[in-house]
Amino acid sequence: MFKKILIANRGEIAVRIIRSCRELNIQTVAVFSDADRHGLHVRYADEAYRLGPSKASESYLRSEKILEIAQKCGADAIHPGYGFLAERADFSQACQDQGISFIGPKPSSISAMGDKQVARETVSKAGVPVVPGTEGQGDLTDKALLKIAPEIGFPLLIKPSAGGGGKGMREVANIKEMPGLLTASRREAESSFGDGNIYLEKLIQGARHIEIQILADQHGNVIHLGERECSIQRRHQKLLEEAPSPFIGDDQALRDKMGEVAVQAARAVDYINAGTIEFLVNGNKEYYFLEMNTRLQVEHPVTEAVTGIDIVKEQIRIAAGLSLQHKQEDIILKGWAMECRINAEDPFRDFMPSTGLITQSILPAGPGIRIDTGVYSGFEISPYYDALISKLIVHEETREETITRMKRALDEYRVLGIRTNIPFHQALLENTDFLAGEFNTQFIQDGNLPVSDTPMDQSLPEIAALTAVLATHKRTQRSAVSMQRGRRNTSNWKWINRWERTKE
Amino acid sequence: MTSEIYFAEVEGKEYQIEILSETRVVINGASHEIDYQPLKKHSSCLLLVDGKSFEPNTYQENGGWEIILQGKRFNVLVEDERERRLRLAAGESTLQEGRHILKSPMPGLVIDIPVKVGDQVMEGQVLLILESMKMQNELTAPRDGKIVRIQAKVNDNVERKQTLLIME
Repeated sequence: MFKKILIANRGEIAVRIIRSCRELNIQTVAVFSDADRHGLHVRYADEAYRLGPSKASESYLRSEKILEIAQKCGADAIHPGYGFLAERADFSQACQDQGISFIGPKPSSISAMGDKQVARETVSKAGVPVVPGTEGQGDLTDKALLKIAPEIGFPLLIKPSAGGGGKGMREVANIKEMPGLLTASRREAESSFGDGNIYLEKLIQGARHIEIQILADQHGNVIHLGERECSIQRRHQKLLEEAPSPFIGDDQALRDKMGEVAVQAARAVDYINAGTIEFLVNGNKEYYFLEMNTRLQVEHPVTEAVTGIDIVKEQIRIAAGLSLQHKQEDIILKGWAMECRINAEDPFRDFMPSTGLITQSILPAGPGIRIDTGVYSGFEISPYYDALISKLIVHEETREETITRMKRALDEYRVLGIRTNIPFHQALLENTDFLAGEFNTQFIQDGNLPVSDTPMDQSLPEIAALTAVLATHKRTQRSAVSMQRGRRNTSNWKWINRWERTKE
Repeated sequence: MTSEIYFAEVEGKEYQIEILSETRVVINGASHEIDYQPLKKHSSCLLLVDGKSFEPNTYQENGGWEIILQGKRFNVLVEDERERRLRLAAGESTLQEGRHILKSPMPGLVIDIPVKVGDQVMEGQVLLILESMKMQNELTAPRDGKIVRIQAKVNDNVERKQTLLIME
């Protein structure tokens, strides 16, 4: 087993990984940018080293610097978390070359799945159904894409070959708007991934996004840990995930089939470690391979809750060469789990990012609640990284009870000083379609909050009015006090009179 | 403390609220016992109204209050008696026409400014691309017009509400 692991990441996921390391009695090394000197991951790790300025390109993306630190401090493995270097085959290769274990798949599997076009071809050959698109045609020019588009049919999606997290993705409704969207997509792909290549894929309308977690060891054992429902997304960014999926529900045959197909896709690229196969599932329960994420996923805790398996510990054991501890038949989903991603975004202003100091943070607690976070009261949210400040995960027996528990937890949660999307989640959990499990990836339309259909407490507007009046009153009192304190020759009343006259 | 009367408008409905003391208010004629504890610097407060407990967030936005209460948002306009008198005497103010000042809706990095001073632009045309928290946002023209000034450069880090460009 490893003695010391360097965590090449920040925020909640770095903290999450440190926790598993500690429980396995492994020393931890954090790395940080200038913006994160006070980060929780830096405070929790046994050792911490500075990477550079706040911009990711000058800190968390500096692979040579990270390897240099790993060598110097004697780390025998690196966990990349998600994002940053997690899906960079060259980084996995560099670790291997320097004799440091990369806690993740082999470089060849990352390359095979990292280029979305190659991935589609590979799994398609292995008999896994894929969404129709420009697969097998390589990188095409705008001119060629415009020519092919009508054959695939509208609406369609432009996707970056090197993509992830919805960046650079654009929906196209018709050929007229396509040239502009191609330009925008290439530009965002270039700046996010350093690769402006894009491809087209048919937009499956009304589809759900359901993914299967897999684990694969170095001895040829591959198992799946059931599905996660991730259809609640905005601009292709997931906001709420649950396990199991209410759409699959009791359909154990469908779950088993999708699980088998996921295992097959993983085997097609000789996959090792934890990974996720994402599917689109239409109303007829037909599923298509979307992509494979060759890393730990943000939403892995919902799977941990229902399977009782610590996925990060499994990742570490697999990288250390141990065999999987569980067989497929040992995996039994127990209860229901749900995760809300708490983002520093203002849901009332089109999810605009909110930065600044967290002046107060009171976390929900009590039965069945888990919070993964890297921030705390007094921490400054900077604009340099993504908006995720915490993940709130709850576990209960049934979906209904899970939702009730999540509502309770959201009510308890206080984050002051910045804006968060907590009100979005609260509205979502009151929406009858959501409660009935009737939703797809188009459920959250741009700029729209789910409307709560429970009648609002009629006293609320009155309480809001009262609050505003009291706040105004307090402010007026304060300014009156400061006016009295000022040394003005004329009396305050005279001064107010003058001021009022100049206003008119 | 002297009694003071305020008028608050929420969702088109008006409330007359009289503050009698630290612990007593009259809302539209009905008397209530309150306990108000502002959480300074947190834009929040603890509020008891006849024993019922609330914790509204209070933000000052565009000359009014934005109150977030139990996950719901309320925009509230408050005026005291004097302000109301002045407003009624002056009549409703006329809206300013002409210039549109594009302000940064969020802190971020200017990625591209695909227009230049003197350009005629059409409604919906992209004026500036801003990256924040790894997402690129296209800021567009709210109407047809002409660019008269550009106050940002590509690669500038800008603050929220900073003026980026002005169109006429």
